[in-house]
Amino acid sequence: MSSALRGATAIVGIGQTPYYKRGTAPENEQKMCLRAIVGACDDAGVDPADIDGFVSYGSEMNAGQRLMPALGTRELRFGALMWTHGGGIPGAVGLAACAIVAGQADIVVVYRAMAENAGGRLRVAVAQSDTAAMHLVNGMDAPAQRLAMRTQRMLEAEGMPREAMRTLAMVDYYHAKNNPNAMGRHIDLDEETYESSRWISEPFRVFDCSRENDAAAAVIVVSAERAKDLRQKPAYILSAPHGAPQGWGALEENLTPYTSAGMIGLARRLWDESGYGPQDVDVAQIYDHFTGLGVAALKEHGFFTRESVSEFMTFKNLIAPKGGLPLNTSGGNLADGFIHGMGLVPEAVRQIRGQSVNQVPDVNLSLMTGGGSDMVVSTALFGSEATL
Amino acid sequence: MSKEYSFRRNRIIGGIGADDGFWENLEDGTFAMCRCPDCKRWMWPALWRCPHCGGWEQEWVPVEPTGTVYSWTRSWYAFDRTQQRADEIPYVVVLAELEQAGNARVLGQLTGPEDGLRIGARVEATIQPPSDKTLGYPSLRWRLT
Repeated sequence: MSSALRGATAIVGIGQTPYYKRGTAPENEQKMCLRAIVGACDDAGVDPADIDGFVSYGSEMNAGQRLMPALGTRELRFGALMWTHGGGIPGAVGLAACAIVAGQADIVVVYRAMAENAGGRLRVAVAQSDTAAMHLVNGMDAPAQRLAMRTQRMLEAEGMPREAMRTLAMVDYYHAKNNPNAMGRHIDLDEETYESSRWISEPFRVFDCSRENDAAAAVIVVSAERAKDLRQKPAYILSAPHGAPQGWGALEENLTPYTSAGMIGLARRLWDESGYGPQDVDVAQIYDHFTGLGVAALKEHGFFTRESVSEFMTFKNLIAPKGGLPLNTSGGNLADGFIHGMGLVPEAVRQIRGQSVNQVPDVNLSLMTGGGSDMVVSTALFGSEATL
Repeated sequence: MSKEYSFRRNRIIGGIGADDGFWENLEDGTFAMCRCPDCKRWMWPALWRCPHCGGWEQEWVPVEPTGTVYSWTRSWYAFDRTQQRADEIPYVVVLAELEQAGNARVLGQLTGPEDGLRIGARVEATIQPPSDKTLGYPSLRWRLT
């Protein structure tokens, strides 16, 4: 497949505020958003006023027009919100790449900021205009419940072992121990602690669920050409497909396939466009709003099959530095922090640069998946210069 | 003068929202599902346009109130917009598949004994009038048979 997108752009700057316990951000959400964006610009060596494109996703309130006065933006040439929720993050990065490849913008920031002082509780803000009467009337409010229902079928009817979910949670908390910014770094998550923890919505226990934090994160995307002159080793965007298969949509639990993270077709596009395969990936940030969907995302990218799941999903295989596929090396959505998953992008980039607290040796290909089983999902593969 | 429906006074916006026929029927005590009147294929949830034949109309057809458990979850936590269910925790919500309606899947809280709750179990529906628990909407509950 020939692609105008492959390798044409790169992430050259990353910026993040610390994670705060939800509702305790010391600054207003929009101010934190600006801090993350300016931080990403400083990281890249770019003047914030030169940003000419703004892309975010989900329920992001800090649209480009709200940020441009404080940034001193010289000209806003591109602005968009990617669908739907956390599923849209890699797609948001892809959209930024599209704008640059199409010659419509030069320096695009992709970002997310969440603080209860502005947007209310994360899980409400995310779901509020998206939950049908059929759900609410029947006591199904939160993504935790809806995705628990899908995961229950994966376990009961499709042979996903419960241990795979537990292993993902344990890997996240293990990696968080090395991360001084991770909210969950003091928790020792062993099997017993996991198995005795309280239920949220079966089959999810509290440790199967992501946190809710106040924070902001941003990345800067520019052309591959421009990336050469900036401060950091570029993380080239090889592919970032976004979409939903036939049989999906806002269907109130009538999706077909039902137990899918939505990534079967996306993974095919990812591997076709990049020219690589799961066996080539060195490290992965797998969106784990809930463990079950993280496991499903890995399966749909081809890392294992129904038959080989238990062989792949072992603690030893998934930890840095020596595992076969280290995952969620800053702690993931479960143990690092959660602002709708945006924190996974900087970590995917750090692994390319050699800057992670749990650095995998010789990273060339770094995968980042969006929130599985969101109504529209995406995935992205970043690469070093050697992969172009 | 046409009937005033409780669900309309308490309208929830968030889904596709073409399912007024379902809630009207349910409030009248009937479990009906949506079909394209032209090609007769089931559309669930109800849609504004039939994706198969392009028709723009709906017909609402009463269905046998039985199904098979397709999935379920037991909630142990009162979430923000279902606080009215806090005193029912833990409660089970079932997603039942209806072979008689093109394998459409319908949500409903589980009522009655939970023994035998598993994917593939047979369930039957009972209809409840509007209540605070159900946010002013009528509802359907599934019982294991």
